[in-house]
Amino acid sequence: MASIQPKLSPAIQTYIDKGLFDRLPVSFSAFCFDQMKDWDLLFPNERRYFERLFDLLDRSGQPEVDRLFEPMRAAETQLGVNEKTWPKRQFTLDQVDFLNRNPHYPEWRAAVSTVFGKIDPLLDAEIARKGKPRLVVVISPADIPTGPDRMWLRIANRGKRVAIQQPENVEDFVPLLLTGLAHSQSAPSLAETYAGGSAPYDAWVVEAGDRLAGTAGKAVHCSYTRLDTYRKRLMTEVNRMVGSAEIRGPRQLSEHLKHMKVTASEADIARDAIMAEFTRATLLSGNGTLLINNTFVEWATVQAIRRARPSVTVVGFGVRNKVKPFSSLLIYADQAESNPIPTQTDTLGTYVDLEVFYQYILQEFEKYAEYRRNTVYLFVGEGMDELLAIGPADFPLLQASASLTLPTVHADCAKWLGLA
Amino acid sequence: MFTLTKRQFVKLAGLSIANRVVPGYLRAEPARDASSSNKVIIVTFGGGVRYAETFAPDGLHNIPRLMELRPGGQFFKSCVNAGVLSHFNSTASILTGNWQRVDDFGFQPPASPTLFEYYRKGAGAGPTDAWAIATNKSFSTMGWGAGSDFGQPYGANVILPKQLLLEATQDIVKKRTDQGLASRENVLRQLENILNEGYEGVGWTVFKAGRQLDKHIRETLIHALTEYINGPEAPTSGDELTFFIAREVMREFSPRLMLVNFWDMDVAHWGSYSLYLQAITKTDRLTGMLWDEVQSNPHYKDKTTVLVLPELGRDGDVNAANGFLNHRSGDPSCRNMWMLALGAGVPKGETDRPVHHVDVAATAAALLGVKSGEMAGRPMRELLL
Repeated sequence: MASIQPKLSPAIQTYIDKGLFDRLPVSFSAFCFDQMKDWDLLFPNERRYFERLFDLLDRSGQPEVDRLFEPMRAAETQLGVNEKTWPKRQFTLDQVDFLNRNPHYPEWRAAVSTVFGKIDPLLDAEIARKGKPRLVVVISPADIPTGPDRMWLRIANRGKRVAIQQPENVEDFVPLLLTGLAHSQSAPSLAETYAGGSAPYDAWVVEAGDRLAGTAGKAVHCSYTRLDTYRKRLMTEVNRMVGSAEIRGPRQLSEHLKHMKVTASEADIARDAIMAEFTRATLLSGNGTLLINNTFVEWATVQAIRRARPSVTVVGFGVRNKVKPFSSLLIYADQAESNPIPTQTDTLGTYVDLEVFYQYILQEFEKYAEYRRNTVYLFVGEGMDELLAIGPADFPLLQASASLTLPTVHADCAKWLGLA
Repeated sequence: MFTLTKRQFVKLAGLSIANRVVPGYLRAEPARDASSSNKVIIVTFGGGVRYAETFAPDGLHNIPRLMELRPGGQFFKSCVNAGVLSHFNSTASILTGNWQRVDDFGFQPPASPTLFEYYRKGAGAGPTDAWAIATNKSFSTMGWGAGSDFGQPYGANVILPKQLLLEATQDIVKKRTDQGLASRENVLRQLENILNEGYEGVGWTVFKAGRQLDKHIRETLIHALTEYINGPEAPTSGDELTFFIAREVMREFSPRLMLVNFWDMDVAHWGSYSLYLQAITKTDRLTGMLWDEVQSNPHYKDKTTVLVLPELGRDGDVNAANGFLNHRSGDPSCRNMWMLALGAGVPKGETDRPVHHVDVAATAAALLGVKSGEMAGRPMRELLL
């Protein structure tokens, strides 16, 4: 199969023209090529990463590059990589299958880890030099049936529980936290203010419902609820294709669904091509994101961190519904329609689900140099009189000895971000 | 008076002492005789489960029945899946004794003969003497492998209860009948209708065994469906139907070799930790109920070895792609599992000695007293005393 030359940045194109890619192990260059092939749909952070990566390899001498990739070349020999099994610059389902079923796949994975274990610290050092304060707020719904002492148990030892004074009206809890004022006073939120003065995709609001929509402003807003029409179209299509046996397996199905982009009539997010593709990929990268609101929120957040590296991230979880008897087997069917039994929420199940997701989200942020030593994390339960703060020692909340008002928490966050 | 020669005396004394001082597995006893009535049931926690949610200290509360059974069996603390971490390949490796690297979605049969074939050919067993009761549709090709000397004539009956349930619920939703899925009677009627149309539609393989026996099989399956629908705990999941069918098959045909592959815990892919935990507890309960059947059924009691093990693990919480949701990282949480052996001739105890998934088929063949062909796995000496 002839490889198609994608449109790349001039810098990357120069490296290709200089033959840099041809000097790298074929599985590595093919993987990078595959990742870069939709260059226009990559986030600015992803483009910068590839430019930095290939600039680093280009600057390094060939003997040094050869030494770096020696484990990968050895692993490729073990795998049996040759022109037939792995044509140059090709990374299709055939290669994925070839890797997965190869007895030496673990050795190849280990070699990839070794290579990135050497490259990443060099790239990270550059990132760390340009560090800036960042903020992550993770909000759990008011319906969680437990007190704050049973919240965030997997990560509580990483930070400090801070006492919070309850607002008179619980409806004002989130607005006071995010804007510093009550809902009726309609002030701009931290994400909105930050997004107004920063590069695109630097502030995100990801939520299960849509009540944070008004706090997003120019920030990216990703809502499970607002993707309802698109989700149902995808589910119907998956159901149809699986039922009609047109598709050989899940990977082939996923390939087919790559063409099912969100339309402008389905969601506002479609107006931005990068976000439209992000949404499609997020919803189709695992069953759960189509089916369960909080799985979507977690995975969309993880993907945003990996791909866009936002400076301000607000995450709003919701309550998951109980699965209904029998109809839950039909995973791509609309549960409300397929079973006359009334839909019920599962608040206890939601609590258990979220305890794991808090950990996964925190871990994902901390994998990247952008967030180390300069990020404040607030884990908040709506209506709870305690939050969990994790961050550098100089963040004021970590020194608090008395209970704080939500406007005080907001003011500290704004100051941390340089917005005050 | 009975006298012994010196040679006879030394021989008997040696054996008698050996029984007390030498571990049984070092005595290298031969495989049991194929004409014996030993039975083997392999129960897999299909879909994948981690040590963390089962036999790790924090997971024990999810598996009360296994915890209750563990002291009476042999617990292998380390049972490793060193193969491809997909469902079909993992179970096929357990059943063939060789690491399988075939198509993940059941478009190819296992690349080598299965335990079912070795057993049926070796013991001259009939078509109702080996069953695979599984879940995933891809498992429809799990009954026999690609080996030319064996194959379909010696394969297992493959029953996929969840596929039947899936078809039935789909039909009910399509037809929009009164009460729809809220009526268990609707579900039963539809299950029966599909079954009466033929097994092939739901991916099952049930060997033709003569009109009388075919009728018997069909009645057995229908009876299992009725029990399921009218079960006192109002069961609704695919795994519960798997249990009811497995139990009915045991009661009616007493097969000597069965695979029971539970699957509900693969709900973990949905990203709900609580649903995943509930599924583990349900599988634990159903495994316990299967053991209860072994104990109460005279065809099984004291002559059956039950081997319980996870098909694969799931990704670890730390540094993985997305933790429990997936099973593709190849990290220790994905590969390192456990196995619990229970029943006839199984010495009580536990061992740190690592065993592998491919050892299961070799062990089961030895327990059944049949010769297996070339296998990467080796019999677990702890179970062949």
